[in-house]
Amino acid sequence: MRQTRPPRPPRGSRRGSPHVRLRVGFVVIAMALSVFAARLVQLQGLDPNSYAAMAAAEGLVEVDLPATRGAILDRNGEPFADSVDGLMIVADPELTAAQAPEIARFLYRHLDIEYAPTLAKLRADDRFEYIARRVPSTVATAVVAAAEKRGFEGLDTRRDPVRDYPGGDVGANLVGFIGTDEPLAGLERTFDQQLSGTDGSARYEVGGGNRIPLGESTVTAPVDGTDLRTTLDLKLQWYTQKVLSQAVEDARADSGFAVVMDSHTGELLAVADAPTFDANDPTESPKADLGSRAMQDVYEPGSVEKVLTVSSLLDLGLVTPRTQIVVPPELDREDRPIHDWFTHGTIHLTMTGAIAQSSNIATVLAADRFRQGQLYDYLRAFGLGAPTNIGVRGETQGLLPAKTQWTHQMQDRIAFGQSLSVNGVQMAAAINTIANGGVRISPSLIQGSATTDDGTQVGTDHATERRVVSTRAARQMTAMMERVVDPEAGVAPYAQVPGYVVAGKTGTAQAVGEGCGCYDGSFDVSFAGFAPADDPRFTVYVVVKNPRNGGGGGSVGGPAFAKIMSYALKRYAIPPTGAKPSRLPTTW
Amino acid sequence: MSNTVAQVRTRMPRIAEVAVERARLTVVPRRRTRASRVPFVALVSMMLLGGVVGLLLFNTSMQQASFAATALGEQADTLAARQQTLEMELDRLRNPQRIAAQAQRLHMVQAGNPAFLELGTGTVVGEPSPGDGTTPFRIWQLPPAKPAAINPAPHVVTVPAPTTTTSDSSGSSSGSSSGSSSGNSSGDTGRGGGGNGGHQDMKNQQHRQHQQHQ
Repeated sequence: MRQTRPPRPPRGSRRGSPHVRLRVGFVVIAMALSVFAARLVQLQGLDPNSYAAMAAAEGLVEVDLPATRGAILDRNGEPFADSVDGLMIVADPELTAAQAPEIARFLYRHLDIEYAPTLAKLRADDRFEYIARRVPSTVATAVVAAAEKRGFEGLDTRRDPVRDYPGGDVGANLVGFIGTDEPLAGLERTFDQQLSGTDGSARYEVGGGNRIPLGESTVTAPVDGTDLRTTLDLKLQWYTQKVLSQAVEDARADSGFAVVMDSHTGELLAVADAPTFDANDPTESPKADLGSRAMQDVYEPGSVEKVLTVSSLLDLGLVTPRTQIVVPPELDREDRPIHDWFTHGTIHLTMTGAIAQSSNIATVLAADRFRQGQLYDYLRAFGLGAPTNIGVRGETQGLLPAKTQWTHQMQDRIAFGQSLSVNGVQMAAAINTIANGGVRISPSLIQGSATTDDGTQVGTDHATERRVVSTRAARQMTAMMERVVDPEAGVAPYAQVPGYVVAGKTGTAQAVGEGCGCYDGSFDVSFAGFAPADDPRFTVYVVVKNPRNGGGGGSVGGPAFAKIMSYALKRYAIPPTGAKPSRLPTTW
Repeated sequence: MSNTVAQVRTRMPRIAEVAVERARLTVVPRRRTRASRVPFVALVSMMLLGGVVGLLLFNTSMQQASFAATALGEQADTLAARQQTLEMELDRLRNPQRIAAQAQRLHMVQAGNPAFLELGTGTVVGEPSPGDGTTPFRIWQLPPAKPAAINPAPHVVTVPAPTTTTSDSSGSSSGSSSGSSSGNSSGDTGRGGGGNGGHQDMKNQQHRQHQQHQ
């Protein structure tokens, strides 16, 4: 190039000829562009994705938007179970190990978590430890902020929704509970799909902690879970549980349950179990107490079942409340003699007397008037032997012997409530049939409609009605049941509710023992009834299993029934109807 | 065209120059209006400048809005969490168990029978009765029964009654007699009538067992 340079220009100008300069410039530009082009091919052609990912990772944030779990509410909208925004507190032991004792003491004081395990976690040999889970987020944020202020490093929070059961044990047996990550029992599990909702997610770019306005941003909004509204009444449920557990404790019984039902709609207002458990801390209680005995245990209903037998007889016109029965001291039947619970000679009872005195012999004699299979059909119509499908998992359908296996001895025993088993809600619904004028309305626990995890639609929208016995038979039966609580004629004066006319029936049934599969000498005592008898609003059924104080249906179940019924009538402001209890003769 | 005009001009005699000039019809040259470019340039530059500045301002304001959105979002989260925590607290405070415990601490008892006033007729239905606190409503579970080894039966010494006017039917003596007769029902004084029913049902049990054995 130097050779071509003309010597003409003066010394100061070394720019050379324009042509040469242009050419050199082009060559340089071409070289530079080739380098760029090669780099472009390398970036875009050979491995475009890794660079795109690296670019995206720089400042692109992807967060889950968790759906809020629906609450489980009572009929007035008060929560049995509620979700609260929560955080978990996690630690990086590599940072916390140095100050472990101080931090552990600090956390013990502010979060009320145990000192020693926390200390061990803070000194663990990894980089991630759960310190506390399901802490309400305000508390967690405050604690971590306070820790940072004191110079404790290595604590952080992550999202961890809290499931809170404000009532503790109220309704716990039905509502169930949630484990660390998933629902484990009760309505929580059965209706998990509805309650849990669908999580969403969001992707956006951030710079300096703030979202870049025109940067990439995609949001899939979470779909929150839908609340589950039950027909239960939280306050009545609480009261029922307290009365029941007092009855169970006082009778030194194994367990018990109580059902309160709206007579007209079949809605369950309370389903109490004793012993129960604290849904906030289910691991503290024995596993056997975590389910619902009212739905999951079978037992023989005993004399309460006589109501169904006799109302069927009344419906068929085979007896009237005044039908006269000569009751021998004992009744010899095919395989063994039948006794009454009280010793008597030959006595003259009316049909009403048979109910009021709960005479097995009189009931069996009356049941002889059934034709083969009639009682079975009635019991099926009352809902025995079929699940209630109210949406409680693990419900037993009870045991009603099939029509083909039905023998005469079996009918004798079934007529007074042995040799068949039921669950609590089933039996309450059967008794409620009488309260509801002979129409059985299927019980329901869920308001509206909900789908269980096995796809069944349940709820008040799916309640069905079916006439089982005539209005007349139901009214006669009610009058007979009013005599049960009569201090002179009946066996359960403690079941009376002052000011109201109560219709009810006691039950004392031999129980099948756990071990032998036979009657083991223990008893289940119960009381079922409704009030006000002439315009029933509530049906209450109390069952206490294996009382050890020698009590029966009238003395253990009766007072509990009266307390629950009295509270329900007060709570719903049901005025007394002013009617007088029936004076049907019990003897002749 | 200006060329031809110039040629004509040069060829004309100078005398009637003006007249000729006036008389002659010539094509009027198109006026070339050299409008000032300044306003246009100014306008364009203004628009450009305005656009750039506007964009800058817009961008800045969006950034500002983004900061504000982040801050407000955080605040909303904090407030939502606070609301939830407060609601949780409220639900706990409304727990019937807690209210019952508070009420019992204030020595409140369960209500008796209510009376109903019918507004239409003005009649009173039902017999109201005051709350009766004689049978306490137990809201806490009893502690689990202790094994006999650490819960020995109370040692009861029956002191002969002083020979004054103490009748069997008085409440205090019946209470003490029931206490001594059954060691395990101590403190259970509110079940005067319960014993009777219990007895009946005891019979009931025995009879049923009877039936079972046969």
